[in-house]
Amino acid sequence: MTPTDRLRQMAARNPLRNGPQSVNRRAVLGGMAAGAAAATLPMGAARAQQEGIALLTWDAYADPRLLDMWRQETGVPVRYEIHISDPTSVNRLRAGETDVWDFVNLNNPWARNVLYPEGLITALPRDRFEPLYAQMFEKFAMPYHWALSQDESDLLGVVQRFETFDFVINSDVIDPATAKDEGWDLFNNPDFADRYGILAYEDWNVMDICMGAGIHPYKDKTEEDFAKFEETARRWINNAKMITTDFVQLNLAILNGEIDLYFTGGTYTASSARAEGATNIYAITPNSGPADGKGGINWIELNSAVASPKPRDATFDFLEWITTPDAAEIVARGNGNLQPVSQMAQDEVLSRFSAEELDAIQWDEFDERIANAVEFDIVPQYDRLYDIYSAAVRDRG
Amino acid sequence: MRPGPLFALPVAVFLAVGFAMPILIVAWYSLMAPRTFDLTTVFTLANYRAAFTEGYGQPFFWSLGLAALTTLTCLLIAWPTAKVLHAHAGRVATIATALVALPIFVSESVRLFGLSLFLMPGGGIFAGSMRALFGVSIGTILNTKFAVYLGMVYIHLPFMLFPVLLGVALIPPDRVEAARDLGAGRWQVLREIELPLALPGLVIGSLLTFVLCIGANAEAAILGGRAITVVTTAIEQRFNYAQDWPMGAALTMLMIAVTAAVVFPALARVDLNRLIRR
Repeated sequence: MTPTDRLRQMAARNPLRNGPQSVNRRAVLGGMAAGAAAATLPMGAARAQQEGIALLTWDAYADPRLLDMWRQETGVPVRYEIHISDPTSVNRLRAGETDVWDFVNLNNPWARNVLYPEGLITALPRDRFEPLYAQMFEKFAMPYHWALSQDESDLLGVVQRFETFDFVINSDVIDPATAKDEGWDLFNNPDFADRYGILAYEDWNVMDICMGAGIHPYKDKTEEDFAKFEETARRWINNAKMITTDFVQLNLAILNGEIDLYFTGGTYTASSARAEGATNIYAITPNSGPADGKGGINWIELNSAVASPKPRDATFDFLEWITTPDAAEIVARGNGNLQPVSQMAQDEVLSRFSAEELDAIQWDEFDERIANAVEFDIVPQYDRLYDIYSAAVRDRG
Repeated sequence: MRPGPLFALPVAVFLAVGFAMPILIVAWYSLMAPRTFDLTTVFTLANYRAAFTEGYGQPFFWSLGLAALTTLTCLLIAWPTAKVLHAHAGRVATIATALVALPIFVSESVRLFGLSLFLMPGGGIFAGSMRALFGVSIGTILNTKFAVYLGMVYIHLPFMLFPVLLGVALIPPDRVEAARDLGAGRWQVLREIELPLALPGLVIGSLLTFVLCIGANAEAAILGGRAITVVTTAIEQRFNYAQDWPMGAALTMLMIAVTAAVVFPALARVDLNRLIRR
């Protein structure tokens, strides 16, 4: 099987193309079991059990194997919806959907800076959830900044998936060591005009263009910064060979020789192709950049309980359950996109991944990537930057 | 109360709730201050002003221009095809019609991804076959404006063909024969007999294709590599990443207005009753 065939197979199982889950026999049986169990519970809890839990989440937690395992083990129904972007889901909760969702999985800054101060998520019992952090990498040792409220008194969620997300190259064309040294300047290099693609995860594109323009994405911008951003945005967008929301198309374009690199990307977009043998698709985190000397961006997903009016027992159970080795393993393999999880600090979890799988997520460079990346944050003046970016996309053609 | 209005009541309620109400909400939102989620702020025309001053002309131009070009192309392809299918009605025509109709049952995205795999350079189906069979290396039209146009014609042709087929069926063969007997040439028959008689089918096919094309964005996204930004993509960006619902709503209202300005005058020229009676 050629790498192209394999990518087509992967495209077919791309979770983003699947709609919400349909009801299957197992779900029905699960629901019946939940109903039977609920008959023995007090009224409120019984209703919550019958309704199950609803996840507003990135794709890994929508993996059917994960949800089937949860239903089998607990009998509690579960349904989900995959995010479009962090801010979109934050605004949905603001618009009153706290009644609809029980579990929300967002990147690190939102819980501490927005969701908790606005009463959209609820604090977790520290005695139950803080010990989970002891089973993670050193980076997450308590008191862990992003998991705590601003006064550090409340625990807001459980960390699980984390990685850097910058750009991807064809290592047969560009030497990875050179790419790391050059960093974002690769996209400023006229030699690569018309030789790169853009994955239209547009909030990420804004941060990357900041990096390419020599601006710290997470600090206040001056008028001079906006001018630099606009010049870079227009040049990068006009020089792009293709812009798409589908990373499989970009990986195929690399394999077909149409492009040599693309942003935004990382092991999230490269790992499934690498796992199938296309190891020249190579995730790069720059060695340096304008963000306090760093050029990479490290996202950390935090799983939290929505401040739903329903009883939260099942949500808390789910939050704890996903950190168990069996569940964490599925999350790391979420829908075919291998991604590191915080529980891989445990040998019991790490040993479940083959050498090929670890190579697919470029595990040998993982610590280096994280060290060279600034932690993801809310972008100040995002609205103005996004308007410049989207105007540049419109003017492209 | 007469039974007519009574029977119409469920449909009227359905249309009011499911059709008029959402448009009313969108219209209301379009008059709110930019980037607000509140429906109770003061009314403003700021979003409409921005629609004319912040570079949205290009997306409107592409959506309308491509819709017009696609409609014209589909019309030019559909007319001779419909004539042939009608003239040779029978087994072969049925199979040919089924072949045109069947793709409608497959998701548009799947068909476009298929076309994308076909057109890809290097390992793509067409380029790969050319290299394997003839040793010829060819490029690709993928990620160009032409690929968007090709994709739009490919997706929308069936929506033109069937109404045109219906229109062609409206032409009584004896009228054509009579015209010929009276000395009309081929061009005269087409212009003075066939086109006027088939007009309802042509107008309906054109309207259907045009309206669908104005709302199309998958072709530009999957085949065009966003070589162009169509207006529906610009609207989607405002609602999603920009979180600017009022601006998205204003663009949506402008889209509806432009579409209505094209559709209503055209519809006024069609005698739908005649088509249905037939």
